[in-house]
Amino acid sequence: MRRAALVLLVLALAAAGCGGKSSKSGSAGGTFRIGSSSGIDSLNPYVAFNQDAYSTFQYVYPILVQYDATNKHFAPFFARSWKTSDAGKTWTFHTVPNAKWSDGKPLTAADAAWTINTDVKYASGGAANEAGLVAHITRADAPNPTTLVVHYKQAPGNVLGQFQQFFILPKHVWSKHIGHKGADLKTFPNNPPVVGSGPFTLVKYQKNEIALFKRNGSYWGTKPKIDAFGLRMFSNDDAMISALKAHEIDAVEAVPATGIKTLKGAGFAVSDVPGLDQTDFIINSNPRKLHHRELLNLKVKEAFAHAVDRQQIISVVFLGTAKPAYSIVPPSTGAWSNPNLKPETFDVALANKILDGLGYKRGSDGIRVADGHKMSYDVITPTSVSSANRTFQILQPDFRKIGVQLKQKALDATAAFAEMSAPNNKYLNYDLALWDWTSLIDPDFMLSVVTCAQYGGWSDSGYCDKHYDAMYSQQQLTPNQDARRALVWKMQKYLYDHRPYIWLANDDSVAAVSPKWDGFVNTPQGPFNELSIRSLTTLHKK
Amino acid sequence: MRGADYVIKRLGFAVVTVFVAISLNFALFRLAPGSAVSNLARVPHATPELHQALKREFGLDKSKGAQYVIYLKQLVRGNLGVSFENQQPVSHNLWVALKNTLPMVLLGTLFSIVLGTLTGVVAAWRRGTAVEGATVTTALGFYSMPTHWLGLMLVILFSGVLPTGGMTNDFLINPSFWTHLKDLAAHIALPSLTLGLVLYGEYTLIVRSAMLETLGEDYILTARAKGLRPWAILRRHALRNAMLPIATLVALSLGYIVAGAILVETVFSWPGIGRAVYEAVLQRDYPMLQGGFLLLTISVVFFNLVADLLYFKLDPRITQ
Repeated sequence: MRRAALVLLVLALAAAGCGGKSSKSGSAGGTFRIGSSSGIDSLNPYVAFNQDAYSTFQYVYPILVQYDATNKHFAPFFARSWKTSDAGKTWTFHTVPNAKWSDGKPLTAADAAWTINTDVKYASGGAANEAGLVAHITRADAPNPTTLVVHYKQAPGNVLGQFQQFFILPKHVWSKHIGHKGADLKTFPNNPPVVGSGPFTLVKYQKNEIALFKRNGSYWGTKPKIDAFGLRMFSNDDAMISALKAHEIDAVEAVPATGIKTLKGAGFAVSDVPGLDQTDFIINSNPRKLHHRELLNLKVKEAFAHAVDRQQIISVVFLGTAKPAYSIVPPSTGAWSNPNLKPETFDVALANKILDGLGYKRGSDGIRVADGHKMSYDVITPTSVSSANRTFQILQPDFRKIGVQLKQKALDATAAFAEMSAPNNKYLNYDLALWDWTSLIDPDFMLSVVTCAQYGGWSDSGYCDKHYDAMYSQQQLTPNQDARRALVWKMQKYLYDHRPYIWLANDDSVAAVSPKWDGFVNTPQGPFNELSIRSLTTLHKK
Repeated sequence: MRGADYVIKRLGFAVVTVFVAISLNFALFRLAPGSAVSNLARVPHATPELHQALKREFGLDKSKGAQYVIYLKQLVRGNLGVSFENQQPVSHNLWVALKNTLPMVLLGTLFSIVLGTLTGVVAAWRRGTAVEGATVTTALGFYSMPTHWLGLMLVILFSGVLPTGGMTNDFLINPSFWTHLKDLAAHIALPSLTLGLVLYGEYTLIVRSAMLETLGEDYILTARAKGLRPWAILRRHALRNAMLPIATLVALSLGYIVAGAILVETVFSWPGIGRAVYEAVLQRDYPMLQGGFLLLTISVVFFNLVADLLYFKLDPRITQ
C-alpha cells in the first residue's frame, strides 16, 4: 500500500516535470523540503486542530482575502475587491473569474456561498469548528459566478479578519458529506489528492511523516516557482537540526533557540522576526475563587509583576530570541497592539514595599502571611510548554525575595486545564499557572479568551468582568476600524491594570533555510503560515 | 488428556484476562483528569456550541455505564470505534502505526536476542575471566543507559552518515526497488540499534545465569568426562537446558512489540504505535487508548500463551 502510494506520487511528480533534476533556468523548479515539529492532525477543516493543518488549507483552498507583505493589512486573494452596504450589514465580494478546482470543475462564488451557508446551518453540529467564523451571518448568496453577497444580523467589526481564516470548499465534493444533519462533514477524511484551488495541491499525506504538495497547474493566481514542497514531521528537534545540516531537508520552520548558533555556523540563513507567541504567568482572577483571595488584590498582582525578571527569562530560557511581553495583544500584530503600555520594571524593593504596605508581614521562615495564611502557592506548569520549567526556576527565587513561596505542580496539558478550571469549569481552586498563547493578527481572538463566555472554553485565568465583556462585544460590532482600534487599546490597558496575566516573553519566530534557496519569507507565524501564501510562492532556487 | 486440560485451562485464563483488561482499560482512562473535549474545543474560532457538539458526538454526554455498554457492543461487532482526534476508525489508525512499528521493533528485538544470547553464553562459558567481566560490564552499561539519551548520542555520532529521522526519504524520486530498500535499511538502522543495545543486556544476564546453572549440572560433567567437544557440550546439553527462562523472556519481549518503543520513536521521529498511543494519552482520545491497549493486551496474552504451550513442549515435567 505504502509502496503503491509512493509510485503514484512519483508518477505525479514526474508528470509535473519536477523529477528532482536541476532546472534549466537555475531559478525555477525543484522540490523544497521543510522540517516541522508541529504536524498536521487532520486534512478535514471541520476536524483539524494544529497550526500546520491550517497552514496546509491556506495553500490548498481558495480564501477571500489574505494578509499583505507587512502581515498587517488585508490584500485581495480569491476576492479581487469588496464593498459594504446597509450600514455594514451586507458585504459584497467580487471574486476571480474563470477559476477552476484542481479536478477541472469551475470554482465560482457559488462555492463560497455554499460553504458559508453550510457552516451557518450546521454551526452547532458538524460545522461547529468553523462556527466562530460565520458568527452574525444570516445567509450568503451568489447572484452570479463572480459575486458573493454576505448578509449579517448586525454590522460586525472584523469581517475581513474572519474571512482571512475561512477556507472555501468545493461544493461538488463536500455537498455529498452533509448527511446525519451535517455530522458527516467531520468523518470525511479528505484524503489526497485533495480537491482544492490554491497554488498547490496536496498529493500525499502520512500522519506524523510527510505531507507533499505539488504545484497546481490550474491555479488562477501567480504560479509558484517551485514544482513541489514537502513538510516532513519530526518529533525531535535535535534530529531535525541534524537532518537540515545533512541536507536531508532544506529548511526548518521553527528553529529551537539552542540550534541557532549551530545552523548559522554551518552557513544556513537564519531569519529571526518578532513572533505572535507569548508566555504568561497566570493569576486566577475569578472573583468567586475560594482560597488565597489576596491574589485578587490588584496591589498584590502589581507587586508580583515587579518581581518578574523578564530579561533573565529571555536570556536564559530563550537565549535572547524573545522580547519582554506586556500586553495580551503582541506588538507583531501592528497597530492593534497598544503602544502606550510598557513591561513593568524588575524591582524587588518596590514589590516588597507594596506588600509591606498591605500589611502582609513575614513569618519566621521569611514567607509573608496574608489574611491569616502563608503566601505560599502552587504554580501549575503544563509539560507541553517547553519554557515553563526554566521560567519557574527563575521566578521561584525572586518571589522568595519578596516573601512569597512558589511550588511547581507539573501536569500534562489536559490535566493542567482540568485542574485550573475545576470544579465544573468554575475556576474556584487554583492560584497560579504558567502557560503560553499564540495570537492571531486580528485581536478579536486574544481579547475573547478573558471573557466570561469562555469559561470552560479558552479561559485559563477565570477572569470574568462585565465591564470588560461589554467592551469586547462593542469592538466586535464596530465596523469603523479606527474606532475599533481605540477600543482595543482601551481593553488592553484595562487588562494591563487588572492583570489576569503577567506577560513574560514574546518569542521570536526563527526559521532557517539552506543557502541554495532564495525568497523564503519568514513571518510572525513562521514561514509556513496561515497569513498568506507568500512564502512558498516567491521561493526559488538561487 | 492431561495435556488437553492444560491447554484448555491456559486458553480460558487468557480469555478471562482479556475481558478484565478491556473493562480496566475503559475505566482507567476515564479516571485521568481532563477530557478530549476541553482540548479539541480549543481552536481559534471555537464557540460554546462546539464544546457541546463534541460532547454529543463523542458520546461523553451519556453516563459512564451507558458508554461502557456501547463500547462492549461495538467490540462484539469487531468495531474499535472512531478516534476523537482525527475522526478516523481506530482500527485504521492502529494498523497504520503498527505496520510502521513492527519492522523497527522486531529488528531491534531480534538483534538484542541474538547479541544477548551470544554474550550470555560467552560470559558463562568464560566464567571468572576478563572476558566475562568485559561482557557483563558492557551489557550492564547499555542496559542502564536511558534509551532517549543513547538515541540522541547516536543521532549526534551518525549525523550526516545515516538518516536521523523518519522511516524513509519521502522525497526520493522514482527509486528502484533496491534504492528504496537501501533507503529503508539506512533509516531503520539507528532506531533498531538503539533499541537492540538497550535491550540486549537483559538477555545477557538471563542467559548467563541460566547457563551457569546448567553448566554446573552433573550431566555436563559427564559429557566432559566422555570427551565431548566443548561446542557440542555447550550447544546440545547446556544451552538446550537453559532455554526455559530464555523462552519466557523472548515471549514477553515479542508480546510487547505492538506497544512500540515510544522513546525510540520520539527521538527518531518514527511514526509508530508508541507515539500514537502517547498522543492519544495527551489528547484523552479514549477510543484510541482502548484500541491500543486492547491490542497490547491481546498480544501479551497471546505470546504468554505461546510461552506456556512451549513450556509444555520444552519441559515434560509440567504435564506430570
